[in-house]
Formats: sequence, C-alpha cells, structure tokens
Amino acid sequence: MKRMQRISLGLAATAAATLSFANAAPALGGDRGDVDLSAASQGDIQPGAVGGNGLAIFTKKAVLAEYKGRSVLDNAVVLVKDGKIEAVGKQGELIPPTSYTQLDTGDNWLMPGLVEMHCHVAGKFGLNDMVYLANPGLRASSDVVAGNSMLDMGVGGGVTTVLYIPGSGTNVGGQGVILKTGFETYTKSVMKDPGSMKLAQAGNPERWLIRPNRSMMNWNTRTTFKRGIAYAQNWEAYEKDGGVKPRLDPQWEIFRHLRKRDCHISTHTQIYQVILKTITMVHDELGLPFFIDHGTFDSYRVAAMAEERGIFACLGPRNIDIPVAGYMRWSGSNPEKIQGIAAGYQSEGHSRIGFNTDSPVIPQEELQLQASIGVRYGFDDSNMETLRGLTIIPAMAGGVDREVGSIEVGKDADLLVVTGDFTDPRTSVELCLQLGEVVYDPATEKRRW
Amino acid sequence: MTTLRKLLLPALALGLFTFTAPTFASGLFQDDEAKDEAQDEESEDGEAAADEDEGDKTFVIQGADIHTGTGAVLRGATLIAVNGKIDEIGYDLALPEDAEILDATGFRLYPGLVAVSSIGLFGGGSPIEDTVDPFSRTMTLAVAGGITSTVQGSEVAKLKRGHIKDIVIGSRPLQSMSYSKSSPAGKRSLREKFDGAAAYIREYKQWELDVRSNKDLKEPKKSGVDSGALSVLLGQARALFNADDRTDLLEIAKLAQRYEFRPVIDGCREGWTVAADLGRAGATAIITPRERRSQDESIMAEGGSSIENAAILYASGVDIAIIPGTKGVSLDGIAGRDIMHLPIEAAFAIRGGLPEDAALAAITTVPARLLGVSHRVGRIEVGMDADFIVTDGDVLHYATFVQWAVIDGEIIYDKEDEMYFAHIRPRPVTELAPVDPVDAGEADADVVEPPADEESDDEDADEEPGDEPDGSGDGEDGDDGGTASR
Repeated sequence: MKRMQRISLGLAATAAATLSFANAAPALGGDRGDVDLSAASQGDIQPGAVGGNGLAIFTKKAVLAEYKGRSVLDNAVVLVKDGKIEAVGKQGELIPPTSYTQLDTGDNWLMPGLVEMHCHVAGKFGLNDMVYLANPGLRASSDVVAGNSMLDMGVGGGVTTVLYIPGSGTNVGGQGVILKTGFETYTKSVMKDPGSMKLAQAGNPERWLIRPNRSMMNWNTRTTFKRGIAYAQNWEAYEKDGGVKPRLDPQWEIFRHLRKRDCHISTHTQIYQVILKTITMVHDELGLPFFIDHGTFDSYRVAAMAEERGIFACLGPRNIDIPVAGYMRWSGSNPEKIQGIAAGYQSEGHSRIGFNTDSPVIPQEELQLQASIGVRYGFDDSNMETLRGLTIIPAMAGGVDREVGSIEVGKDADLLVVTGDFTDPRTSVELCLQLGEVVYDPATEKRRW
Repeated sequence: MTTLRKLLLPALALGLFTFTAPTFASGLFQDDEAKDEAQDEESEDGEAAADEDEGDKTFVIQGADIHTGTGAVLRGATLIAVNGKIDEIGYDLALPEDAEILDATGFRLYPGLVAVSSIGLFGGGSPIEDTVDPFSRTMTLAVAGGITSTVQGSEVAKLKRGHIKDIVIGSRPLQSMSYSKSSPAGKRSLREKFDGAAAYIREYKQWELDVRSNKDLKEPKKSGVDSGALSVLLGQARALFNADDRTDLLEIAKLAQRYEFRPVIDGCREGWTVAADLGRAGATAIITPRERRSQDESIMAEGGSSIENAAILYASGVDIAIIPGTKGVSLDGIAGRDIMHLPIEAAFAIRGGLPEDAALAAITTVPARLLGVSHRVGRIEVGMDADFIVTDGDVLHYATFVQWAVIDGEIIYDKEDEMYFAHIRPRPVTELAPVDPVDAGEADADVVEPPADEESDDEDADEEPGDEPDGSGDGEDGDDGGTASR
C-alpha cells in the first residue's frame, strides 16, 4: 500500500488562514511548508478547538457512520467550531466561511474517533477489589490516570472514547467512567461519570473467594439489584411527592442513574445461557438497561432475543468460537465449524453489533482489528457496518451517542484522518482530533501505531 | 578430517572463499546455490526413476492471477506442474492429456507461505517423519492460513497433509549465538571463537597450497576450533542472534562486519534506531511488527518498539522476515495474533510503511532463504516445487481466505472440503473446479448451486477491498453505502 500523502494545508483557493497544529507553532508550521498565521490571527488556541477559529476539513471521503443512516459522504467538507461539528456537506455546496482555517486531507478519509466500551487501561487497575461479591458503590473514576501510555497508544490506533470499567472478579465490580483518551487531565477527559455499572456473570467471578456457582451468583445479583431499585424508588417517590428525604447512600446511588437510564449496565456476559439469564433477569424482570459487553463464545445463539429488546452487543476480546471436542458446545451438524462471533450475531438478525477489546487483553490500539477479524470470519461488511461497530454502536450502547460516535452536526469534533477503510489493519491514523484539538499527529511525533 | 574436507573443499574449490574480500557474503549464496543445484539433480533423477512406471503426474491450474513473488504478476495465466515441480507458466499452453485441471479463474495464486518459526504444526515431535500427524487440526489450520513450509526443531518441512514421507526438505541452517551487553564474558568468548575459526581457516588454506609442494605437511589441527563459528565463516550456516536492545544490535553489526558474515537477528525491536548499521552489516531481521515495548526512560537515546520498525529497516537494506508473536495455532478464540494469521501480522508492517511486495517477501522468499530452502519454495518459478496457495483476494487483505493449497503439485487443502471455514463466504462454484461440497452445518447451506449472477457478485466483492485499501480509486461520485435506509 502506498503511503498516503501527508495532510496538505491551505489547498483551497479561498483559504484565509492556514492551520497551526500546536502551540509550538513556528517550527511545525515550517515543517508543513506553510506560512503560519496562527500567532497573528488565533493566539494560542488551535482552530476548531474551544474558543479558537473555525476549521474546515476537506476530505475525499467522510465516514459519517450515522446509525441506520448514511455511511459515507464523498468529497465532503466538515466544519468544526468550538470543539463541535458545526456543519457537514458536499464540497461546492457547503461553503465554509472565509475566516475558517482550511485542512485538506488529500486522499485520506475522515471518520469519527473509535469508541471502546470495555477498557481496563485508563488507570492503575486499583479498582478490582474482591472483598464482596457485589460492589455497586465502587467507582472507576477514582482510579483514572488520564493520558497514560496505554491510552496514548489507543489514540494512535484511533480510539478517542473509552468506558473504563472495573474487572470481572466479582459480580458487580463497581461503576465505570466514560473518558476521552487524548487529554492529560481527568477534568478534561471525563465525559460521563458514572459511565456504567459493571456486571459480570459466569466465568471470572466463579473464581471469587468461596467459588460461588451461577445459582448463588444470580441470587446475589438479583437481591443486590432489588435493593438498589428499592433505594431508587424511595428517591423517586420523594422527588415526586415529597415527604421524608431518604438517606443518601453512595452504595446505591448508581441505581437512580440506571432507573433514569442516563447510564447503563455494561455486562461482562458470555456463553449463551448466561446472556439468556442477563436478558431475562436484568432486562425483563428488573427492567434495568444493559448492553452485552465482552460478548463471546456462543452468545450469538441468543442474539435474536437481544435484538427483539433493542439490546446492544459489544463483542470481544474473543472474536471466534472454536468448539472443543468434549464440551457441550461441541454440537450441531458441523461440530468443527469455526464461528465468527460477530457473524453469528449478524446471522441471527442482530443489528446493533459493536466491537471491544477488553484492553489490555487485546491492546487498546487493536480495537480496529476486532472489526477486521469479525469480517474475516463472516461478518457482512457491505454496508460498512464494521465502522459503525467501532463508533456509533458502542457510543449508543454506552449512552454517549449524543456526544460522539458519528460525524453529525452538534457532536464533539473527535475525528480521525485515516489512510482508507479503517477496517483494514493496514490503514493507519494520520491525525487525531478530540474536541477539535490535535491530540496525535504522526507528522510531528513518533508514530505510535 | 574427512568431514572437514567435505565442509571446506567445495567452497575452496569454487574459489569463493575469499576471507578478506568484501564480496564474501554474496559468495556464500553462490555456494549455497551450487550445492542446492547438485541436490536438485539428484532428487529429480531419483523421482523420475521411481515414477517411470506410472507416467508423469501433471497438475494444471488455469485462469488465476499468478503472483510469482519475483515481482511479476501474470493475469489469468496457466501453470503446469509435472511430478511436483513447476514445469511451465504462461498463456495458451498445450495441456497434457489426463492432467488434473483446476480452474481458478478469478482467484489469485501465490507462493505457499513460509513460517520462519512455528510451534506444533506437525502434530508431533522430532523427527518429524516419524511422529507427524498428517491429519492434525493444527496442520490443517496452518495450511488454511496459507503456510505450506515451516521449521520444527532443526527440520525444515512441508505441511503436506495426508503425507508422512518426503516432507522434510532441509535442515535449518542457522547457528544460534549470543552477543549481549548482559554478558561481557560471553561476548569475549564469542569473539575468541571467531578468531580461532578464522585463524584455522587461514592455516587450512595455506596448508592446501603448501601441501602441493610438500606432501608430508600435516593438516592443521581442528581441535579447539568452534564448529559453530567455523560453519558461519564458511557460509554453511548463518549466525542467529536473539537481540532487541540497540546497543546489542550495534555490537552485533560491528561483530558481523569484523568477521564478515551476515547476521540474522530475531526480535530486533530497536532495529529502527540503528537501521543503517544493520543494513551495512547485511543483516536479516525476523520481526514481529506488533511487538510493543515502551522506551526505557533511563536511556537518553531513542528506543522501544516502533510500528515502523520493519519499514525503516527495509529502507536501510535489511531483509525482513515476519512472524507473529504467537507461533502456534491458537484455539482460545482470540483470533488475529497467531501463526494462522501470518498475513495479518505482515499487514501491520505495511501499516508501518513496509511496501506490500516486501511484506509478501517477508512471509515467502526471505524466510525460505533463511531456512535454506529458497531453491525449492517461496517463489513461483519454473523448476521450483509446485507449492502454492489459491486465494479469493489479496493475500495481505484481512478477509482473504485460502481456497486451495497445493504442495508438490497436489491439492492438499480445499476450503470447501473442510468443516472449519467452508461456511464462511462459500466459494462460487465453477464448472471445472473440483466440487465436493460438505454440509457446513448451516441449515440453509445452499452452497452448491448458486445462480450465475451471484458468482460474479462475489468476485467483485472480493476484489474491491483488497485492491483499494485506501479507497482512493472508488467512490468518485455519490454516497455509496447506507443510501437505502436514508
């Protein structure tokens, strides 16, 4: 594959100003062979960023990744102002204001940043406490190390948003937090806290202290959730009718968010019986919003049920299911068939398929490869569903689709300039913007990935 | 002493052994080839004699785009293999009667991939031919991943499913050595070994001249001469170092230039920081492009891994072989990082800037050379073994599957005949293709007789993503995709 040409600046004739990518403007402007006007016209704020001049990005192909809408827009221009996407249109139809700095991506594509709903690398991993089997009050947000090296690598792989969650050593590990990956401080990184409540079923928590089995775990989870719901109902009654103000208890506060649906349960759930249990217990019986996170093994067998209920599924780190002789899963007319998990969900009619890594199980920067492998093992990508599975689908699963996940007006300008179809691992990130700011530019630093 | 003569004489007789001349390295390969040709003639004679009664066994593959691995691509060409060797490649060839014909129109043909190292692909231990399980799942999956030759222990062998004889094709001509700053004594010791071997070779050469005039002159004594260093200096083996650290790499480059051999470096993580030195030393690097290690912050110089490692080394003249981090077939369900996904590992080198032809060479010709079998496998050329894979697209594209694998002119893998992948994008059936459909476990497996128009659709779908990974060639107008539900 030919290396893509570097981003060329100020190509359009109407350019009123050229783009400066960093505060250390003179040197970088020089590298790019362009006169840097930033000091005069924009001060220290990058065009596109909050408080900065507007930015007009011209691209050969914009991957819009609209949910059930347009996949791409060719010969597009995307306007970015104050960290948000201000307008999206065809070149020649959408005319950027002359004051906007122009960025031409050449033959490269523009796409929304990748969204990861199963990340364990945004902190020191000091949140995997396994004293109790259910800990709805623990918060991953207390453990975040913004801008750490593993997140930096993730940015190199195009990942701009992550749900940082506790591990699966217990049934309820605590609350996740949704972060932007490219910034150095927690305050600037945090998008949503609580970002989710982590539920883990089967597998890992079976290794907890007394080695509970699924009956005990389901009983404990159900009991815990019912207490949480009762707590939330108390508050709801108080907020509606007044009366005695309930006592605030951080252990159960998360259930108020869940009942209001401003955050979801991210469920480490795998093997079809287990997902079946999540659907019937958490969704049907208790009425709490959840999405399948870490969906693996033969979980696709219940994909149709999940689809009926509009339940999102993020799949990974295992991306294929290889039946092993001797296991119960070794069944059917072709016991040896190697089944792509995403393909399995798709063939069951599931339409909300996202991908995740469980980083560091799969390194954060290889989220992209999860989609490639999905296609390799049978996922039909003819409508670019993989690119949605890396962006808008996980954003919807995590409830941050109003902010990120697609190139649509009003959303955060978390954008990637990439060398082509990002489902191909040969395709690399040539520029990463978050909130309109350049957070990664391999033209000015060592290529991360 | 007879052994030594065997070792030394061919090289000396051919006049290739010029100890101090800078052309030493290239001489090694001439020597290899001369030796190899001799072996070839032998084996061909043997085969011919054995097959005389049965007549020639001819296998023909038609219509494929033949990616020869030598730079040439022959579109829609014909390849004829006779008795396991490639006999002819070209157009409008006269086909022998009673040849087995495979129509691969619309598919691509590549040399079978060569894994420069691997674990457990033969389903047995050592020696391979006594222990191989020719029906093992790992072997099938490795072949499904495109690999036709690899090494186990010191044996270089083919993954010739269903066969237990004539599968070993050589012994790995690599001599493991260590030269690391973690062991200064070890470094001194290795230098002394090379000094000793070099001195011995000088003495032997002198003796050979002198003995002509003085028949009583005694041969120099070999005792105390390190056989490993000797074989490296004689060009019978290449020195293999496991090294990642830039200081070690620089030192190895210096050592190699001092004693005039071309080192093979496995790992080579920080090679990108000293690429020019490794290039000058004529090094070959065995790289795992996805290897990652952050820089050692206590060291001021650049370091750590880089996704551009293979590309930078290649640009400096270092030959690149690529191998995934997981060298066996992984059955844990996390796909994309094991030996079964060798081309995907190569794809990551391309991501870092390695040209596509170099990436293909890194999993075919370069490892074949490293394993001493480049005279038989790794390229599609007349006279080479008829070992190749037929794929439904660019072999370096993530969605491409091996449709057929051929070893010694015999189809030893057919995707549609195995249960592992037959259900994934079933192959359009052509008139001449050997059709033997299996129940792939799909209730609606209407694989056998797809309508004619579906066939062409499939082929289009195969071509597009592989040919235009950057998308620069398509979508000039209109918003493709997603328009239906707008």
